[in-house]
Amino acid sequence: MQGEPADLVRDESAPAELLLRVQSLRKSYGPTVALEDVSFDIAPGEIHALLGENGAGKSTIVKLLNGIVQPDQGTMHLGEAPYHPHSISVARQHGVSTAFQELSLLPNLTVSSNLMLPHAKKGRFGMISERQNLEAAEALLTEFGVTDVDPRSLVANLPLASRQRIEIVRALAQRPRLLVLDEPTAALAEPEWLFGLLERVTARRTAVIYISHRLSEVRRLCSRGTVLRNGCSIGTVPLRDVADSKIFEMMVGLSQRNTARSTVAAKQAKPSLQLQNVSGRNVRDVSLTVHDGEILGVAALEGQGQRELFRILAGLEKLEDGQVTTSGTPAKLANPKEALRAGIGFLPEERKTEGIFAGLRTASNISIAIAGKISKLGFIGTQSERRAVADIAAQLDLPVRFQNRAIEALSGGNQQKALLARVMVSGARHLVLYDPTRGVDVGTKQTIYANIRRFVENGGCALVYSTELAELVQLCDRCVVLYGGRVAAVYDGHEIQEERLVAAVTGHGEH
Amino acid sequence: MPQDSAISAQPRTLPSSIGAIRAIFGSGAVIAAILYLVMFVLYLALLPGARSYSHFQDQLANSLPLALAAVGGTFVVLTRGFDLSVAGVVSLANVLVATYSMKGTTGILLAALMVCAVGLVVGAVNGILIAYLRLQPIACTLATMIITSGIALLIMDAPGGNVPSAIGNLLFERFGPLSMPMITVGVVILLWAVIRRTDWGVGLYAVGADETASRLAGIATASVKVRAYCVAGMFYGLAGLALSSITVSGDPTAGNSFLLQVFAAIAIGGTSFAGGRGGVVGTILGALVLMLVQKLLFSLGVSSFYTGIGQGVLMIAAVLVGAFSAHIAKSNNT
Repeated sequence: MQGEPADLVRDESAPAELLLRVQSLRKSYGPTVALEDVSFDIAPGEIHALLGENGAGKSTIVKLLNGIVQPDQGTMHLGEAPYHPHSISVARQHGVSTAFQELSLLPNLTVSSNLMLPHAKKGRFGMISERQNLEAAEALLTEFGVTDVDPRSLVANLPLASRQRIEIVRALAQRPRLLVLDEPTAALAEPEWLFGLLERVTARRTAVIYISHRLSEVRRLCSRGTVLRNGCSIGTVPLRDVADSKIFEMMVGLSQRNTARSTVAAKQAKPSLQLQNVSGRNVRDVSLTVHDGEILGVAALEGQGQRELFRILAGLEKLEDGQVTTSGTPAKLANPKEALRAGIGFLPEERKTEGIFAGLRTASNISIAIAGKISKLGFIGTQSERRAVADIAAQLDLPVRFQNRAIEALSGGNQQKALLARVMVSGARHLVLYDPTRGVDVGTKQTIYANIRRFVENGGCALVYSTELAELVQLCDRCVVLYGGRVAAVYDGHEIQEERLVAAVTGHGEH
Repeated sequence: MPQDSAISAQPRTLPSSIGAIRAIFGSGAVIAAILYLVMFVLYLALLPGARSYSHFQDQLANSLPLALAAVGGTFVVLTRGFDLSVAGVVSLANVLVATYSMKGTTGILLAALMVCAVGLVVGAVNGILIAYLRLQPIACTLATMIITSGIALLIMDAPGGNVPSAIGNLLFERFGPLSMPMITVGVVILLWAVIRRTDWGVGLYAVGADETASRLAGIATASVKVRAYCVAGMFYGLAGLALSSITVSGDPTAGNSFLLQVFAAIAIGGTSFAGGRGGVVGTILGALVLMLVQKLLFSLGVSSFYTGIGQGVLMIAAVLVGAFSAHIAKSNNT
């Protein structure tokens, strides 16, 4: 567009006509500040990227635009008028519609019912007409080029890629003035379909907010992008003229990329956690080795088997074939207890449902891993608990004053530290960490990285999956890429570069 | 399974006929119907005296209060809610009918209006507290159950009162081969068919399956829930009226036995307590099955202490079969 490569921190060449203007938005949830100060604007027909690491505030912006939550401060303007939606239906009435990352489809309803929500087509006597709904759904699917989905089938029976397309079709069906796409290609096998549609809707002057972690996609589609970091908009840049490295720098900040890699020559170290031809649900024949003192990263897009692989190691998912060896002894992993006995410490994906014990104090949440060791005659004294937790909590910068609070009162980052502390004090030697920095702020990330590093330097090992490739680049000694449930590539030390990982996770890696 | 999809090549959608067969067997109504038929044949085989049409009608009439109450509960359970207030509302409706009813057809209509109004108020209170103030359904409806039971005791502190003959005869009216309970069940099923074809009807299933997704899809989830509790309350009230027609008197604790039976009927009828699956037809069949078992055991001279055991075992069997068939319906469709 009219982007002059002038000032990167604030784009002075903003378009003349604006569809959406967002100014100084601020939003906090209790003690957690999700958005601190976000401003950007979008012209009609523009595809505008929101760039930032997880937890930078992208999803909060989506919620604000849809009226799911309201800002504490700041203003939004849609066209000329102030825009303050207090519910998603108001947002829709204003012509804002969204394809959500977590998908808002109902699995127990048919595709056609889902497409028609919340108001189905009515026939006689004001009752829903199945036939009219089918026709309308069929027409929408044809119009937006989804030809292989029967509108009568239940959404629960559709593969994820089809669901994602239905979610996008539903957003488009509203004929929005502003279309919000939150990670729309995360599960799409053929993103070209979406790119074609976007060309059509932008020709009708629909503005699009495009959120994706795939920078190549963003570059191809978007003329401008706004970079977010820690809840602040760092700047809006014309994407054509800016190098990837500059964007990353804006996303991450300069000072953040210098954690030293392990100096341990991994090849000489003993294998610590070894997987040989491991297969299970969605996991095909995975072999890998994590050595003592090593952090092995796992990179993959959503749904490439990484979740199942980690759950197999935690004893939560069936190991159908293959062998897992910990510290040289074959491990049985039929249930979580056996995984613990094999020395595997698992940090689960869902902090709220699989991680914390809400209602318990933070200290108890940590010490529960060693409850058997610190108890006397079956009772745990507050003192002995405090002693047991003190060291690890200090290492993880978890202030003492938090330890007696209920864990759910802590911010997400501090909850995650407590969970990591639990895994680390449990006596496990092999950490299996699923997205350990999910939704935590940058400062906490650095603490978590440092602690994982310290843990392996003291003789353990760590297998780490992250949705953020940049994080793997920074943290890992080696990195494997999973694609379609198999190991698609392995990178060593300085070979771990974001561009390579991006290519490999999308199935374009050199094998 | 979402994870499967990214790996396997995109499968074509199922032919809809197979989908339809799966839908039928996946729905608990079929299991409840089969169970009912089996029990009914057993009943006729063991009790020769029961082989008459009028006996069948009586049995239906005796099952109607439970069936109506359980139909009400089904609306709430579909939204993944829980409603204990049924016990209190049935008692309250019963003592109100036994205390304040007038004679004749007008009396019936006024009584019906009265019990519906009471149910509606209790349901609205439940719904608003749960949907807007986000109280836990069990805690909230337990409170309203206790309150309504208390009011019932205030109105009538011991069993007694009497019910006008028009109401007493209500469930035993015949219209040619049809009886009042049959017509009532027919009307309820018809009503359900209409409700399923409204946005609210779709919303019940949507909210029960995934409340967050429903909200993102633009459904007014709170209003869907409030209406579910309101309609449930009205059905509880009507159940109380039907009960009054059978007992012809008032009892401030009449509803207590309904509490657990309602949920048993819902479960046997194949409605999932996890929300979003099931329906009213199954629930009616579930209520019929429960009452049939009770009658069968009673007629065979089995001590009433064993009735509960029989009903419980049956319920486990129904839920097991339901879970199994749902599993079959779900598997093999990647």
